Amino acid sequence: MAGTGSRSRAERRSAGELESEVLATLWATERPLTPAEIQADIGGGLAYNTVHTILKRLYDKGLVLRDADGRRGAYRPAKNAAELTAEAMHEALDRGPDPIAALQQFVTGLSPEEERALRELLAGGGA
Amino acid sequence: MRFDVYTPLLLSLLLSVVAPVIGGRVAPALAARVLTSAAVLTAAATTWTLVLLAAALLGDAPPVVREAREDGRRLVDPVPEVIGVAAGVALAVVVWRVHRAVRAERSTRRALRRLCAGQPADTELIVAASDVPQAFAIPGRPGRILVTSAMLGALAPDERRVLLAHERAHLAHRHGPLVTAATLAQAANPLLAPVRSAVVFLVERWADEQAATAVGDRRTTARALARAALTAGRARPACTLHFTDRAVTRRIAALQTSPPPHLWPAALAVLALGALPALLAADATGDLLGLLSGVLN
Repeated sequence: MAGTGSRSRAERRSAGELESEVLATLWATERPLTPAEIQADIGGGLAYNTVHTILKRLYDKGLVLRDADGRRGAYRPAKNAAELTAEAMHEALDRGPDPIAALQQFVTGLSPEEERALRELLAGGGA
Repeated sequence: MRFDVYTPLLLSLLLSVVAPVIGGRVAPALAARVLTSAAVLTAAATTWTLVLLAAALLGDAPPVVREAREDGRRLVDPVPEVIGVAAGVALAVVVWRVHRAVRAERSTRRALRRLCAGQPADTELIVAASDVPQAFAIPGRPGRILVTSAMLGALAPDERRVLLAHERAHLAHRHGPLVTAATLAQAANPLLAPVRSAVVFLVERWADEQAATAVGDRRTTARALARAALTAGRARPACTLHFTDRAVTRRIAALQTSPPPHLWPAALAVLALGALPALLAADATGDLLGLLSGVLN
């Protein structure tokens, strides 16, 4: 199946990576999302059926829930495990010497002047 | 021998001066690898050098001296006693520092394993429901990516893909073990601290470049970094006191230009700089063995 253009980009991503993206999308939004909304959000020519399959897999793992009282077919992330993880994370962060500081964190601290420069960059689209 | 044992210390200083320069000019994947290799070689060499200097005290040990007198040989003492004693003390400090670093690594790994406990086996992303914006890779089999809900909520969809691709690159290219190696090298030889800092910075740059390739857009990658840094900064106002090495700003600036080249000559020079202390230490070992074998036989 030789995909072309933007379509092939999504298909090159592995099932595991797509699962992460769908889960991240659900967590990033305040409200439950339907597969079509997730599809639009992720973009990259991801097929609707693929989104559906991934949601089913995440549901089987207990990572997402079907939105019972909301719209039909909408999903939301399962909070319980994530709250336990957050507790464990904060526990690890609070215990000195900070073991998490030894990790590669995505970003580190900013000085006030750096903060100004970054704000300008985001506002001006000058990146 | 006199010359050989002191040179590794000078060479580790030189490596520390070169590291930040290489870090800014050479492709991060190549630079991180050669700097770590050179640091490990140098740290091994300087540690071994301390062993040799301390061992040279054996030449002053009474049985050795007596035996040499009986043989009618003149003892050549290559190392002044005070240097030998100082080396012994330094060696003890090195052992203590490496031990402490290993323990810290273990404790980090344990804390991380706890975070992964109870997660589905074949899931890459672990979300923590927390207001603190935070994201990091957890090395292991399988490697995982932990991101808080606050961080995910702050980023646009394409920026979330940058974040995931960045953390994925840390796991795929085994940046964890690489940084651990540089950390242990620094523990054994504190002169190498700037080299470790350069490696820590370079693996971030390396992951940024990988993310930019995966997403296909350097501007989006830079934007994701800026947004994540600002979000994290807002949540942690204590950061005004926090040490900042301008790392994020430097990473964003690097993404606004084209990727740095694979400067092989510079990389090979760094490797040579790392290999030299090792060769000198090997040579000094030969000298010491020659000296001792005469009296210990």
